[in-house]
Amino acid sequence: MNNKIRFLIVEDDEMIRLIHKDFLGDLYPECDIIEAENGAQGICHYFESRPDIILLDMMMPIMGGEAFLDILEEGHQTNILKDKPKIIVVTAIKDVKELMSIGKRFAVEAVISKPLVQTQLKSLLQDWIPKNE
Amino acid sequence: MNDDFKSIPVFDKEKALSRVHYKEDLLDRVLLIYQKSLVDRRAIMTQELFMQNWEALKNLAHSIKGSSLTIGAEQLGEVSYAMEKAAEEKDLDLFNKLFKIFQESIARYIEFDKYE
Repeated sequence: MNNKIRFLIVEDDEMIRLIHKDFLGDLYPECDIIEAENGAQGICHYFESRPDIILLDMMMPIMGGEAFLDILEEGHQTNILKDKPKIIVVTAIKDVKELMSIGKRFAVEAVISKPLVQTQLKSLLQDWIPKNE
Repeated sequence: MNDDFKSIPVFDKEKALSRVHYKEDLLDRVLLIYQKSLVDRRAIMTQELFMQNWEALKNLAHSIKGSSLTIGAEQLGEVSYAMEKAAEEKDLDLFNKLFKIFQESIARYIEFDKYE
């Protein structure tokens, strides 16, 4: 991965997408950012664009994060999908059991609570993405 | 809920600014989107409440909670959290009371925003 990294933001709230987008753009000015308003759009964008990193909300209309993860995980288990993007769940869910079960999912690399503390996201990304070569 | 609730900040500008790395212009855009979505969601919520569509009410309250807490609209964040729980429990009486508080909180937020 380099600075040309591709992000997919799957989030129904336009305001939160804007904040994520601005933050990622500042951090990685050369990156591509694709936006989806729900899981169904997110899946389409995933197949079209093969993002490196996905920021995923869980509770969304039409298709939520749970179903999005089900589709990706089934794709990997059946070897249809080869690439495994890093998925960071960003959620306002407060129930600890629920958060833990999301965190244990095969496709999920990390879970961050809303309101998003951007330093948390930054430190995760910096572990994964080498400083601009 | 009411007395203590009213002492919670309507809007914490410092928190909001910190979420957008102190970019005033970005905050202006964010708040415009927030206020519009708040009003839109309230209208949808009114319809869903009439139909007692608990799943939709829970999702709407959850979304409002997330965006409100993100921009430091503390009162709206708290009341929408409570509405989310009431929808989960399908408690119509409680939800109705909270929805009234929610509407008052929106009015306070909009009033506050006008003078900022």
